[in-house]
Amino acid sequence: MGVTCVSQMPVAEGKSVQQTVELLTRKLEMLGAEKQGTFCVDCETYHTAASTLGSQGQTGKLMYVMHNSEYPLSCFALFENGPCLIADTNFDVLMVKLKGFFQSAKASKIETRGTRYQYCDFLVKVGTVTMGPSARGISVEVEYGPCVVASDCWSLLLEFLQSFLGSHTPGAPAVFGNRHDAVYGPADTMVQYMELFNKIRKQQQAAAFME
Amino acid sequence: MRKILSPRVRGYRQDFLKIAQVYPVPYLTGGSESSCVVFNLDTMEAPPVTMMPVTGGTINMMEYLLQGSVLDHSLESLIHRLRGLCDNMEPETFLDHEMVFLLKGQQASPFVLRARRSMDRAGAPWHLRYLGQPEMGDKNRHALVRNCVDIATSENLTDFLMEMGFRMDHEFVAKGHLFRKGIMKIMVYKIFRILVPGNTDSTEALSLSYLVELSVVAPAGQDVVSDDMKNFAEQLKPLVHLEKIDPKRLM
Repeated sequence: MGVTCVSQMPVAEGKSVQQTVELLTRKLEMLGAEKQGTFCVDCETYHTAASTLGSQGQTGKLMYVMHNSEYPLSCFALFENGPCLIADTNFDVLMVKLKGFFQSAKASKIETRGTRYQYCDFLVKVGTVTMGPSARGISVEVEYGPCVVASDCWSLLLEFLQSFLGSHTPGAPAVFGNRHDAVYGPADTMVQYMELFNKIRKQQQAAAFME
Repeated sequence: MRKILSPRVRGYRQDFLKIAQVYPVPYLTGGSESSCVVFNLDTMEAPPVTMMPVTGGTINMMEYLLQGSVLDHSLESLIHRLRGLCDNMEPETFLDHEMVFLLKGQQASPFVLRARRSMDRAGAPWHLRYLGQPEMGDKNRHALVRNCVDIATSENLTDFLMEMGFRMDHEFVAKGHLFRKGIMKIMVYKIFRILVPGNTDSTEALSLSYLVELSVVAPAGQDVVSDDMKNFAEQLKPLVHLEKIDPKRLM
């Protein structure tokens, strides 16, 4: 896959999530992007069960199991700041077997669904992030297909992002950070989605706390 | 550029045909599964979006197993007979390194996972395997039956397992030959003990014999599979006696 940037689009003032998504997609269509199907990225959280913690003397870790419709036969499992494993879909069956050791955090499933747009060599995916029945935010993913090295095409990606995100353009993703010359892979995209989902979850918790 | 997933069988990697979501129903037609999966990477077409999560509704795959052994000096005659009985293909050898990981919890028995990698095929994915307890059912059933989950993974499998809390219990190197007949897989291999942990170059053979395994991975409930395995095993007598060996009786 090419170098990808995943970012969050804040909801426009006085508008709902759906209306903001529509504004964005209309902008993309005016640019000349073609609609090409839909996409879905989802994430489930597991934490090590209390029974296994005692023997290791460490705090429970959170494990994220994610799927990306762009890779329908794969399953991504990652730890925050840890390794990201790319496995086939039988990994989900294995997680069912590991029920006694890894418990799914309640109501933790978060996903983003939306439309895919192709604009020349760019693939843009605008999705609504939902937790349960309610929409919590908007995710924007832009992939530049021809290039796999982040440092070579970040400026081009930035320019393209500015053309339709305007002032909401994000900075360089943290995954690009240290390894500018390393080959970009799907695992890096999933790490970006995990960070986005965690950010949205925290925003949700803060908002709930304020009420 | 089109990418083709090879249908070649190597070690447990026959089960990678599951990546193509082709379950071994071809067993019933008697044909060999030479299906290829072709992924079209030319266009940026949207792949299909699955609506349902995978959790509860997958088919439970079972491994049917018969084992036996032959002494080193009988290996050639066994290979010769297998070459005649099995599907016609280039003789295939394999050299695999397997590590067994345990996760200890409050339950009495730890959770066992087997991570296997090919040492002679660069670029092949790692193979993670879960094997359940043998099903204690029909005494007349000819083969050992246990639940099995096979997963192809990327190369950072061992780091990931350690992060999950698994610890390596033991490791070994398996070197041998691979044959297949329909959905039956026959492996004749020698197990090597690794002398220095982590160093697969210094190994020593565990015994003066080769382990022979006849296995089938099929959806649960297809017990007729074990009858066919028994019939095939009959044809290998008296070179090797393949039988159902209950691992618990050896402990």
